[in-house]
Amino acid sequence: MLVGAFAVAHTPQLLIRPETEDRALVLRVHEAMGRVKRRLEALRPDALVVIAGDHVEAFFLDAVPALAVYVGRQCAGTFGPYRYRFDIHEGLARDIVEQGIERGFDLLYTQDAKLDYAFYVPLHFVMPEPPRPIVPLHVNVYLPPQPTPARCHAWGRALGEILHARPERLALIASGGMSHFPGTDRYASPEFDYDRGLLETLVDGRGRELARLTGEELDKRGNIELRTWITLLGAVGDARAQVYCYEPSWHHGNAVVEWPLPAGP
Amino acid sequence: MSETAHYRFPPSSAYALNRCLYALKSDRAFAERFLADAQAATSDMELTHDERADLGRMDRDALVARGAHPYLVFMAGLRLKMLAEPGTLEYF
Repeated sequence: MLVGAFAVAHTPQLLIRPETEDRALVLRVHEAMGRVKRRLEALRPDALVVIAGDHVEAFFLDAVPALAVYVGRQCAGTFGPYRYRFDIHEGLARDIVEQGIERGFDLLYTQDAKLDYAFYVPLHFVMPEPPRPIVPLHVNVYLPPQPTPARCHAWGRALGEILHARPERLALIASGGMSHFPGTDRYASPEFDYDRGLLETLVDGRGRELARLTGEELDKRGNIELRTWITLLGAVGDARAQVYCYEPSWHHGNAVVEWPLPAGP
Repeated sequence: MSETAHYRFPPSSAYALNRCLYALKSDRAFAERFLADAQAATSDMELTHDERADLGRMDRDALVARGAHPYLVFMAGLRLKMLAEPGTLEYF
């Protein structure tokens, strides 16, 4: 069953802070992520299903999957001095692949791909004690053409049904967002007002409206990573979001959000 | 996706360039060799003279105009900068 759902920013400046980043802001985002960790410990999940968009780390141009599932025994990645290795919940991962394909989603699976920081920056801060196994789910956000928001939402709906039918207590974490434009001339001017409008929609429990956004709109607003959130929204239906924080830095809208679910305590 | 999008389909003409940027981003040993001697580090990469010149300057606009992915340019440049000038970083 699905007992918890969260969205967490993953900008690497939250893990390794250069002097360009406001320390107090970074610590406020850490505090919000600490709330997620404590909340996860209260929810007692058996595994964490993490939806993130690979930053051209595991998947370069030799093969570009729209949607992928990590189904090995473990997964690992490195960033600067950090070395991460996580156990994968193999039974759950395999069920997601098999049932996902049965439901019409042509998923790539990997038993050996590297893990991108989009997965482990949130886990660095929110992994409950004791650590739980994970299932990483990749959604292509950086290499056009990406899956449409409608397709992400449909995949999330199927994923939610698969997770609800499982015997374990499961939490879903969408990694990424909100507005930012890395590598472009818009880097220092994200669309914070657009983000705030989106958060109001989510707080109202109208997340399904995001399935109607276009890829062009997400690109224009610096929100290509919102595909991970939209996937999660397919799984949580009309649940209302609770915003733990929205912290706009000079280049990034950092949000931490929970969708409290009926199955939770 | 329109041609004015921030992130566009990476043309195959820029494959070698993107391959080099990917290595700079994700392969620390390669990035160190590139910093020591960019010409030698990229000698087997099938890059043109002009591509090498733009890489040497990490000229974002020129690289993106050639079809380089903006995120790869961004993170490759950041990794090189962190190697060359570690500066003051706070690790959490």
